[in-house]
Amino acid sequence: MNPAAEGTTYPAVAFIVDPSRVAAFRALFGIDEGVPPTFVTAAEFAAFPQVVADRHLDLDFSRVVHGSQGYDFRRPLREGEALVVRARIESIRMRGGNGFVMIAMDLEDADGVVVCTARSQMIERAAEA
Amino acid sequence: METVSIGDQLPELSRVVTREDVRGYADASGDHNPLHRDDAFARSVGFPGIIAHGMFTMGHMAAAVVAWAGRPDAVLAVSAQFRAPVFMEETIVAGGRVRSIDDGTATAVLETWVRVERGGRTEWPVKKGEARVRLA
Repeated sequence: MNPAAEGTTYPAVAFIVDPSRVAAFRALFGIDEGVPPTFVTAAEFAAFPQVVADRHLDLDFSRVVHGSQGYDFRRPLREGEALVVRARIESIRMRGGNGFVMIAMDLEDADGVVVCTARSQMIERAAEA
Repeated sequence: METVSIGDQLPELSRVVTREDVRGYADASGDHNPLHRDDAFARSVGFPGIIAHGMFTMGHMAAAVVAWAGRPDAVLAVSAQFRAPVFMEETIVAGGRVRSIDDGTATAVLETWVRVERGGRTEWPVKKGEARVRLA
């Protein structure tokens, strides 16, 4: 991973809050109504391919583990709405051969309002000697 | 919601994690990492077999928060640090307690966790989880 990639921003990716996917999340987690908070992960996976394919960042996904995850909501997601997902590399730290990258994603609605910010810390473990 | 006090415990929420759950989660989320579907791959990176997605475990934790809060819309923020893997057929237990209450905004901050009993020890797939919830 390249620490100089800190601050990289990626083009917006479209994401629909598909009611059938939301229903699948509800069924998986036994939630009766609304959009389960961690449904946002589906939006993150719409934008992750850009991050994984970024040669300047050079993240080796085969050595990555998920360190932490957070979601901050300005308002709940609405079933059926169209959002865009904007990803950015918020920080990169190297420690003991491991790389810690914080990937932030803003989910914006049609009015340009950020309805949720997702933060994923990915840890790229040191390569085997 | 009934009156909420600092130190209140969330009712614990348990489930057995199955291959069907993990397959269903991969399809719903779009996370098709082989670590969660290919035993041979999982063994090649040092696990006894496939593990659950960290986000599956966090989804279960969030379900415990939603159950306590009454509905998903009341969850204003949720976060988790992943500390231990979850293997198939293990029972994960989500819990939490009220850490602080802000009467001005009618919100509460919960500390939350997910534990699993393994080989006579308690492991913490999520040790430091947190949620901010709107009350009432």
